[in-house]
This record gives sequence, structure tokens and C-alpha cells, in this order.
Amino acid sequence: MTGRGIRIEGLKKRYGSGDTAVDALKGVTMQVAPGEVVGLVGPSGSGKSTLLKCLGAVIEPTAGRMTLGNEVIYDDGWKIRDLRALRRDKIGFVFQAPYLIPFLDVTDNVALLPMLAGEPNSEARQRALELLTALDVQHRAKAMPSQLSGGEQQRVAIARGLVNRPPVILADEPTAPLDSVRALAVIRILGDMAKRYQTAIIVVTHDEKIIPTFKRIYHIRDGVTHEEAGEGRGFD
Amino acid sequence: MISLAGRDILHAWGKFVFTGIGLGLLIGVTLVMAGVYRGMIDDAMVLLDNSGADLWVVQKDTQGPYAESSSLYDDTWRGIAAMPGVASANNITYLTMQVRAANHGEPRDVRAMVVGIAPDGPGSAGWPPYLVAGRQITRSHYEAVADIASGFKLGDTLQIRRNRYTVVGLTRRMVSSNGDPMVFIPLKDAQQAQFLKDNEAILQQRRRTAENPAFNRPGVPGLLDAVIASQSTNNYVNAVLVRIKPGYTADEVAAPIRRWKRLTVFTRAQMQDILVNKLIATASKQIGMFMVILAIVSAAIVAFIIYTLTMDKIREIAVLKLIGTRNRTIAAMIMQQALALGLIGFAVGKITATFAAPLFPKFVLLMPGDSIAGFFAVMVICALASVVAIRMALKVDPAEAIGG
Amino acid sequence: MNFSALNRRTLLLLAVLIPLLLLLGYVALRTGPLAAVPVTVTTVESHAINPALFGIGTVQARYTTLVGPTVAGRVKSLDVHVGDRVRAGQVLGEMDPVDLDERIRSQRAALLSTQAQLRQAQTQRDFARTQATRYAQLLAAHGTTEELLATRQQELQSAEAALQAAQDAVERARADLAALQAQRSNLKLVAPTAGLVTARDADPGSTVVAGAPVVELIAPDSLWIDTRFDQLTATGLAAGLPARIVLRSRSNQTLAGRVLRVDPVADAVTEETLAKIVFTPLPQPLPPIGELADITVALPALPARPTVPNASLQRVDGQLGVWRVEGDKLQFARVKVLGRDLDGRVQVEGLKTGERVVVYSQRTLSARSHISIVDHIPGVSP
Repeated sequence: MTGRGIRIEGLKKRYGSGDTAVDALKGVTMQVAPGEVVGLVGPSGSGKSTLLKCLGAVIEPTAGRMTLGNEVIYDDGWKIRDLRALRRDKIGFVFQAPYLIPFLDVTDNVALLPMLAGEPNSEARQRALELLTALDVQHRAKAMPSQLSGGEQQRVAIARGLVNRPPVILADEPTAPLDSVRALAVIRILGDMAKRYQTAIIVVTHDEKIIPTFKRIYHIRDGVTHEEAGEGRGFD
Repeated sequence: MISLAGRDILHAWGKFVFTGIGLGLLIGVTLVMAGVYRGMIDDAMVLLDNSGADLWVVQKDTQGPYAESSSLYDDTWRGIAAMPGVASANNITYLTMQVRAANHGEPRDVRAMVVGIAPDGPGSAGWPPYLVAGRQITRSHYEAVADIASGFKLGDTLQIRRNRYTVVGLTRRMVSSNGDPMVFIPLKDAQQAQFLKDNEAILQQRRRTAENPAFNRPGVPGLLDAVIASQSTNNYVNAVLVRIKPGYTADEVAAPIRRWKRLTVFTRAQMQDILVNKLIATASKQIGMFMVILAIVSAAIVAFIIYTLTMDKIREIAVLKLIGTRNRTIAAMIMQQALALGLIGFAVGKITATFAAPLFPKFVLLMPGDSIAGFFAVMVICALASVVAIRMALKVDPAEAIGG
Repeated sequence: MNFSALNRRTLLLLAVLIPLLLLLGYVALRTGPLAAVPVTVTTVESHAINPALFGIGTVQARYTTLVGPTVAGRVKSLDVHVGDRVRAGQVLGEMDPVDLDERIRSQRAALLSTQAQLRQAQTQRDFARTQATRYAQLLAAHGTTEELLATRQQELQSAEAALQAAQDAVERARADLAALQAQRSNLKLVAPTAGLVTARDADPGSTVVAGAPVVELIAPDSLWIDTRFDQLTATGLAAGLPARIVLRSRSNQTLAGRVLRVDPVADAVTEETLAKIVFTPLPQPLPPIGELADITVALPALPARPTVPNASLQRVDGQLGVWRVEGDKLQFARVKVLGRDLDGRVQVEGLKTGERVVVYSQRTLSARSHISIVDHIPGVSP
């Protein structure tokens, strides 16, 4: 791995303590290579969200190791001081709902993070426009989020997740509200983006429509994962 | 760099401007309240300034002609004028009463302070120091100078007690400490108005005197007429206004006058103290309390509005935090919105106050110092009010953006 | 929607905010203490003025006669009423004689009695004289003693004295009678001069003391107006000046008059100078006594000198003066008042014609005030 891709070893997460403790994750191991899109599948309560939150450096795991590229970000304790910067620079998020900022136009929604980080506005917007073009929504560049359709909003959200070229993208049920055509379209886009920008993408889902598209799937049950080869049927 | 607060305001500008106007009206009321208080003090100051006096000589142990009634003989001024350091001493009478305008068909009753001025000519103590129309009084009877707040115009005929007066001049801001407009008439007429009664009362008095055997003795034919004549004269005034020669201080001129019996002398500082502290004290306390309440209400409204605006965006704030936005960026956005609201509110408030002030029946004085203080107060209140919303926003767990 | 949605929004917001800011700026600068003070100015011109004095007077009669009895008594009849004109010598009424008639009769009787006593004294004296002569003759004829003669001579002397006394008594009785009769005629109330009856102070039947007036008369041609002028404004009042008189009850009529005299004794209590103004000519009908009148005495006109309206006069730091306008700056100029008229014009020393002075201002002025010159003060309709 050359600074991209993600590896997790023996990740544990316990909520609470004593008698009321709940072990959401009991030792998760997984890895995703750059350019790869893997699925993370499991029923509710299986620890999907918890795993995602750990991966996203939003909550602190109890034990284990997480490596991003060749940087160990967690080894029984955070090895990174500024988690927020980690999230900003190294991890991209795609949510169930687009969660676009309603008072910024599409371009600014995508370019927001770089601009807040101090990058000149014109450069940031230029990068945003490139991503929007790659996602085929450039014709909506000046519109406000409320004027876009659901699918367009989701694409903009994906562009936002990609704007900082993070090595990892975590997608949480990105196709849940969508119909099969659009759902497949989203997964196709994610696959394109992954290839183009060499991003490792983990898609948490239980959407039956898209599970067959993954080449590799991690099943998670009762806080433990095991790998499976997916059908990898692609996006037809 | 991008201004999140600016974009948000731009996006929801209607809500902002509307709220700003509402807040502005509240701030405007607060500024007007402060103006009412300043106006009351200014009324008192203007009263003292316009009288042109350095010392007020009044009946002993009374609180002066404005706060309390005082009666002096009208020849007292002669003794005072001869004292060292006295440049001039003028009689003056004050009487607050209803003045009727007796022309143009519809009679109007106006509550006014009728001031009797000694016939020394323009520039004397007690005379209006400047006019806005017409001329000063030249005749010793039956002419008047009125303040425009009374609504009288040049040429109007006023009825004060038994006599009629023609308005020959108009003044502005000549008011009593209560805000009643002043009407200046010659001293002798004012003395008559103050101490003589109307015709009915005079007839009754004559009848009673004639029935009194002590005054109506047949062996002394002129006695009854002499008694009636003495009852019809009046030789009292309310105060003597003293101007001091240059080179003397107020206290060194006042002290010898005080040593006379039955006279109390107030310097300018003491009159100010009486008018402001004693006359206005209760009203100013009320206004102070009202302003505090308004400030609290304003703060509450700003806090509520900002809180609501923030809560509407709480999902987006969670997402922002998750994807890596700094806490202080989010806090700055909320604070800037609150300050922008305060700015709009203050502008609307100041403009409203300025245009509403002349409509009030009493004088409202809006001072720039008050406006500046008000501006900073509004900014501080808005900043503090936004703290609630900021705390709420910062407490949001970014993990909530990840469903489940 | 289009690309310029953002720009339109911005434009709209600016369209609201910029006027707001402009308004705020206007409010800050144009109103309140930072604003300029509106003033009206006038140019000093050289005018002659006609100063005048103003006073209030009461119509009075110059000569008032009080007709009444010289002794206490009761009024028997009055033949005149208020408003009647009477001639000199006209009987106005009569007092009740009470017991005067009886006293006259008694005095007449007393006079007769003294006259009788006089005759008796005369008889006695004649007899005494005859006796004295006879006894003197007898003594010459040695028919009687000297002592008897002396006695008869002494009787003659006492008879002479008694006669003198009786004559004096008659005189006295006659004088007393004349006095009573004079009094009786005094009971008639007679007008000493021609005049107008202005009061009946006692009606028939009332008792009055000696000296109390029963009828008051005035000489109608002697009406004058007792006028009071404030001492401070009575400079120049002198006899002979023309006066304009406006009676209270005839306020649309101006009558002509003249100052008859300025009283040598002023009223020290009310600080007024008293003067008497006469009508020239007397108005008909006559104004009632006691009616008030407004008097304007015209003083000799003053020559043309720099004149300003009296509204310009102000007192600053104890000095009387006016605010002179130089460019857009104010300068206080001390002046001395040389003359004033009743219409508000004042002649001053200390200004030159052509200079501009402030007449009206919206606020108190000071040397540092910013002024803006206007035609009339805003908010005041002339």
C-alpha cells in the first residue's frame, strides 16, 4: 500500500461498563485496497454503524489497530492528535441522505471544506467543478440544493466526499432511498471514482439491489466480520 | 474563505430582515425611553437656562418657584439689586393654568405655564432668550409671547383670566419642567392673573366686605372703598431672578442675600438638584426599570431567534462537524448571525426612534452618546444570546449524522 | 431558476440594507446635536423710528363735586337722577328739617320775647331818667337829699345797662334766628356749578352724617384719563405730546388726545408714572367714568439710524448684543439700545448698515454653532 487503503485488525468496541456493558464489536478484521469498493453487510444491531463510526474516527474503539495507508491511526489508543483534521483530509463520507448545506449552492457545498481550510476560493471551486463534471451534475453547479432531484443531490454529496481526495470513503447506506436504477447508478459512480482517484471505498448496506455488484463483501454479525467473495456482477 | 453566516443570511434574508425589524422596533422603543428620560432632564435644564438667571431668590424655606409655590413681595427686588455682585434683579411670576385661545371660532384650551416678566426689555432675566417668529413684548399690557408647543400662532388672541392678550412672538423649547409650554406676559398682568379672581368672585368679595360692619362704618365714608381697593391690589411675585456681575461667584453673592430673613436663595447647581433629583426622581426610576425590562426582553428574543435558527440547521451542523469543520467555524457562524441581527435591529431601531421622537407629546431627546452605548449594548446582548445556541451546536455529536 | 439566483438575492438584500445604512447615516448627521442650527437673518438697515409709550388709563372726571348736608340729618327728597344735567344753583334735593322749623319758631318767639324785654328796659330807663332829672331839679331847689339823688342816678345807670343788655339780647336772638334760618335754607341741596349727576349716594329717608355726600356731580367737560406708565418704559413722557386713545368699549375707534401733565408724584409701590391725558376733542357720547383705555403716546421721531428687530437682541455673558453673521460664522456684537418703538424695532449703536444679524434661531446659539440660513424656522408656520 502506498499511503492509501485501509486495514483494520482486531477492532473491539465496548459500550458501557460492568454488568451493563455491551460489546458492539468483538474483534473486527478487514482491509480494503485503493481502488476497491467493498460491501459491509449485516442486519441491524450487528455493529455496522459502530464499525463505521470507528472507521470514521468519530468514536474511539476499545482495542485493536487501524491503519490508513501506512499510517497507524489507532493502536489501542488514538495515535493521531487531530481527529477532526483526519476526518477532513483522509476520510470522505457519503450518508444516507445527502445532507447538503441548504444555504450554499452546489459548487460551494462541494468546495466548502477546502475553502474553510484556507485554499483560495477559485481553486477550490475549480476542483469542485471537475468533480461535478465527473459525476455529470455540472449543469447544476449554480443551483441551490433544494432545486435538485434526489439523485442529483446524492451525486453532489459524493462529490463533496471526494473533494479532498481522501484515501478512504465511508458510505453509509447510500442507496437506501433510491430505486434500483438510481441505486445501481450510484454504485457505478462510486466504482468509477474509486478507480479514478484510487480511493478505498467501504459501502455499508443491506440493500439487496446492490449487494450483487460487489466483488468482495464483509459480513458482520454479532460484532465479528468474515469475508466473502461477492458475486461481483458489476453494474449491469 | 467563505462566510457561512453571510451565506445563511443571504439564503434566509426574509426571515432575518423581518426578525431584524421586529427586534429593531423593540430597540427603538428602548431608545425612545432613554430619550424620554433625557428629555425630562433637558426640560429642566432648558427651564433653568432660558430663565437667564444665576440665582433664584424665593420665599424662605420653600423649594423654589418650580417645585413648590413661593410668594415674595414685589418690592423685594430693590433690596436685592443693591447687594454687592448683583448685576440685575428681576421679578418673575409662574402660574400653570389653562389658557384659552379666543379666535377663529373654535376655542381651544391649552395647559400652559404663564410667566410674568418684568418690563426690562429683551435680554433681561426671565425673558425668552431667542424667538422663532414675531417679536418680543413691547407694551406693558396685553401682549404675549407663546411657545409653539402650545399650538398658538402669531396674531392669536389668548384669554388669561380676565384679560385678552395678542400673541406677538413665538418661541421654541420654552417649557416648564413638566413639559407644559410657556406663555410670557407682562408682569403686572400676570400678577393680576395669579392673585386676582374673576368678576364673579370679586363681586362676591365686595358684597361680603360691604356687609362687614367693621369696614362699612357710616361715620367713616371712605373706609369701605379703601378696604375694597386694598383687596384688589396684589403685590406678590413668585421669585426674583438675579444675574451676577462678572468676577463674583454664585455663593459669595447668595450668602448675604440668605442672611436676610424670609428669603431662600438657590444657585444654578441647587436648582438643578431640586428639579432633577426631586421632581424627576420617580419618573426616572420608572423609566430605568422599563429599560431594563426591555433589554431583558430583547436579549431573550435574540436568544430565541438564534436558537431556533441554529436548531433548524442542527443536522447540517452535525454533518459539518463530521466531515471536518472546526468547532470554532461553526461557533463563528452562529455568533456572526446574531451580531448581524443586532446590527439590522439597531439600525431599524435608531431610525424608528428618530422619526417617532417628534411625535411624542413630551420632548424626547436622543443623544448620540446614548445611541452609541445602545449599539454596544445590543452587540453584547446579541453575542451573549448566541452563546446558548453555540453551546447547543457544539454539543452535537457528529456521530449522529451516521444513522443508526 | 437561473445562475444569477445568488446575485439576485444579494442584490435584493443590498437593496434593503443600503437604504437602511443611508438612513442611519442621515439620522446620525442631520438630526440631533450634530446638525446645523437653522437661523433666519436680516440686514441691518438705517431707519427712522417713531417711538411710543404705552399705558393703561381710567377715564375720570377732573372735578368732582360732592353735594351733601353740613349737619347730620335725614334726606327728605332728591329731585335728580344719575345722568341728569344740572345748572349752577339748581336745587337737587332737600334734607329733612326735623325739628328745625320748631326751633325757628321757638327762636322767633324768643326774639319777640327779648324785644318785649327791650321795650320794658327802655321804659324803665326813661322812667329812671325822668326820675334822675326831677331829683336833680329838686336838689337844686333843696327839696331832696343828695343821697336820694345819687340813688336815682344810680338807678338811671343800671336802667341804661339793663337797656344795653336787652338790646344785646335782641341782637343775639335775632342772630340765632338768622343762623337757624340759614341752616334751614342749607337743607336745600344746591348744585354749586353746572354738571352731570354721577351718583346718588343716599336715597330719601336715609340718615347721613355731616359731610357725607348725597349727590356726586362732575363737570362733564373735564373728563381726563388717569394713565399709568411703567417707569422703565416711560422715558420721554412729557406734557403736550400727542396721544392715541382706544377705549375698551370702542376698541375699533382710535380717538385723539394729548398729554395734559405728568404727575409730580409717581406710584412708588407699583413703580408706575402717572400722567393725565385729555381728549381732543371730547367724544360724544361721553365714555363712562372708570372705563379703561389703552393710551399710546407718540414720542418725537428718532432720526434714521441702524435698526434691528428686537427679536435679535440677546444677552450673552451678561452683555446685550446681537449675533452677527460673517460668512457662515457667528460673532457676538455688543450693542447699545438708542431707541425702540412699539412694533419691535430697535435702534442700536454698535452695528453698521449692511451687516447681517440673526433674527430667529431654532436653538440657543453660541460662537461655535454651525448655522444654516433659512427663510423661516422649520416647524413654525408664520
